[in-house]
Amino acid sequence: MQDTILKIEHVSKFYPGVTALNDVSFEIKKGEVRALCGENGAGKSTLIKCIMGVEHNDTGTISMNYDGKWIVNSNAMEAQKHGVFANYQSVNIAPDLSIAENYFLGCQPKKGLFVDWKKMNQESQKVIDKFEMHVDPTAKICELPIAMQAMVTISKISINKDIRLVILDEPTALLENDKVDILFRFVRELKAQGVSIIYISHRMEEIMTICDSVTILKDGTYVDTLPIEEVTKDKLIAKMVGREVSDIYNIRHFEPGEELLRVENFTDSKHFRNVNFKLHRGEILGFTGLVGAGRSEIMRSLVGVEKREAGDVYVSGKKVDIKNPSDALKYGIGLLTEDRRADGCALGLSIKYNISMCAMDTISKAGFLNLKKETVQAKKHSKDVNVKTPSVDQLVGNLSGGNQQKVVIAKFLCCNPDVFIFDEPTVGIDVGAKEEIYKFIEKLTEQGKGVIVISSYLPEVMGLSDRLIVMAQGNITAEFDKEALKTLTEEEVLSKASIEG
Amino acid sequence: MASNKKGSGKAVSSIFKRTEFTLSVIIIILFILASSFTKSFGSMYNLTNLTKQGAIVGVMAVAQTIIIITGGIDISGGAIAGLGCMTMALLQTRTGTPFFLTVLACLAVTTLCGLINGVIIFDLNVPAMIATLGTQTVIRGIVKLLCGGLNVTFLDERILGIGTGKLFGVVPYLALIWLAVAALIFVVLKYTVFGRSLYVMGSGMDVARLSGIKVRQMSYKVYSFAGLLYGIAAIMLAARVGMAQPGTGEGYDMNAIAAAVIGGASLAGGRGAVTGTLLGTVLMVLITNAGTAFQIDPYILDVTTGVLIIFAVAMDMIKSRKKA
Repeated sequence: MQDTILKIEHVSKFYPGVTALNDVSFEIKKGEVRALCGENGAGKSTLIKCIMGVEHNDTGTISMNYDGKWIVNSNAMEAQKHGVFANYQSVNIAPDLSIAENYFLGCQPKKGLFVDWKKMNQESQKVIDKFEMHVDPTAKICELPIAMQAMVTISKISINKDIRLVILDEPTALLENDKVDILFRFVRELKAQGVSIIYISHRMEEIMTICDSVTILKDGTYVDTLPIEEVTKDKLIAKMVGREVSDIYNIRHFEPGEELLRVENFTDSKHFRNVNFKLHRGEILGFTGLVGAGRSEIMRSLVGVEKREAGDVYVSGKKVDIKNPSDALKYGIGLLTEDRRADGCALGLSIKYNISMCAMDTISKAGFLNLKKETVQAKKHSKDVNVKTPSVDQLVGNLSGGNQQKVVIAKFLCCNPDVFIFDEPTVGIDVGAKEEIYKFIEKLTEQGKGVIVISSYLPEVMGLSDRLIVMAQGNITAEFDKEALKTLTEEEVLSKASIEG
Repeated sequence: MASNKKGSGKAVSSIFKRTEFTLSVIIIILFILASSFTKSFGSMYNLTNLTKQGAIVGVMAVAQTIIIITGGIDISGGAIAGLGCMTMALLQTRTGTPFFLTVLACLAVTTLCGLINGVIIFDLNVPAMIATLGTQTVIRGIVKLLCGGLNVTFLDERILGIGTGKLFGVVPYLALIWLAVAALIFVVLKYTVFGRSLYVMGSGMDVARLSGIKVRQMSYKVYSFAGLLYGIAAIMLAARVGMAQPGTGEGYDMNAIAAAVIGGASLAGGRGAVTGTLLGTVLMVLITNAGTAFQIDPYILDVTTGVLIIFAVAMDMIKSRKKA
């Protein structure tokens, strides 16, 4: 008994109309790396919020073994005092402060009354080196790429002296493979010091690699805890979703048709150089590469969100001038961005409003909206993509990540573009919703639309694509066609992605 | 806590309804209290006066609502109305410009001022609060330069007629204008692409941009449109006061913002409605008016209104925190 660090007993948590957790009980041992698995909405995030003291469970107790005494952390401050730390799922840091300031937020080293900047930056540099981040500690968070920001939230944990329980919520959602290795090194180091870790991830491969045991939640209830030796990918997914999912990337592919989109000589000295590619009807074109490879920037420039120095766009062979996303949609190009919470959907507005926002001309006459038609259309499209909600009047902010992404897809369905660009479509989305999104991509290509999928997650992008483009530091370093993809290994892709420019 | 039967999460409309429900209850209680316990409040004269008091700030609050919905704010509204009023007064008293042209000039000047706000905020990327603080100061200066710091009196009688006239001898024209403007914007916000786009912009500029909404055009439009409404408020000011003063319109912008916020418009953008703003305006006017009827020290009424504003914003913050 003495080596149990955390006891969760009969914990329930209710939100208006939703039971987020229902009588959940399990324990975690000292030095154990425990995976917490479940689909979105299974209650993982709520549970860790309760453990962190950010939210309070309505029934049951969560107690922690603190030097032999059983204590309950009643708020976040107490939890941190007792050595419980977490990286939060939505990168939760002060964007206008430097990395060092974020590391030492609230615990700055002092020289008398003043902050000891030198010491703070030196200490931060040590952490940055340890996590191989190659940035200056005085760099502002908001100027860093999103993956680097994610790394900051993780490395911030190591600043603390007395660490007993670490919660990593989707730590790799935004990370590249090489950074994942660094994260794993950190996890193993913590484990060796006797720190317990709760590890939440949708990526089965990672769980198999790093975790000792797996606890599965489904719809807010506890399903099972298994030692990792007894777990197989299929078994785990089956327990999570309640059915077998053999190979989620296994979608039907179609014979590419005529050319839909051609990008020529895209150049922007900061982000990408001399980029050329084509997309055909019925084709899935994959883009992968490390952070800063310029994939997202190319697409943002393509739809006119950001400017570029040179480069032409041809739609169905005709040269077009796209000045803003409104033009892009007119020419049939829709971009579903990487950070859906920031620029994909309006969290404070209803599903209905979100779905109709980019195709208001289809439901309006002379500037006046046809509200009846809007509701009908929203209901139809939200059903098409299977958004799980009691009503289309629900606020999008109240939906799970997977359902938010489906709303974004439904939104673009309304304006019916020929080219769908998905930038990291399944970040932070559970297996069930992922599968639905892949099926959806399949349906789009079946209808003869062209799909571009940008993903850092190699099994995904290699599994889905008809053709795969690899980028490194703003240049295209490799292109693999259907034949080449059949025998392609992740190592090959990685070697192309890490070519120095 | 009323009417949460569904329990299936908060629908957009129910949030608005809750603010409006609360406001209506407070207004009705205040109204009943004031008319039963004081003699002066319930008089026809006072009730007419009440709607007149509410009308001008009411129109400006409606203008403010559409701006706040986009996540912006405009503290130059009073100054712009002052400039419109002064322009019209000078044209009427010192030139032989036909009456309707002087009114048109007033509306044109205020709309242009609004457009300039839009350009400064969108293209120069100046935060709305600072941009309009700047234009407010500039415009106040211009007004004083124009009139040499003196009141301009002897306006056209037709203007004065708007201030004193009543429909069927009961409803003041000023109140009618207020209701007409509110009704117009209600329709715009609920039933038009323009109105809907305002909400989307307020929820996130990038979301709006990527959804194909032309955010630059929209920014110009919303501030110009607000400018046009300030112009209407300017005419109402001239009608009510009977002259243009160097300080005409001062203080109205802040009351207008307060009314919109009390009515449930969120300064974070994406939320707000004309019905709420209308009730917010009525409540603010009612507090001052009923307070006077109760013979409460007017300085204490200022304190009350201030507390109400803070309370309204705090409620908004609590709501959005729960959502996150």
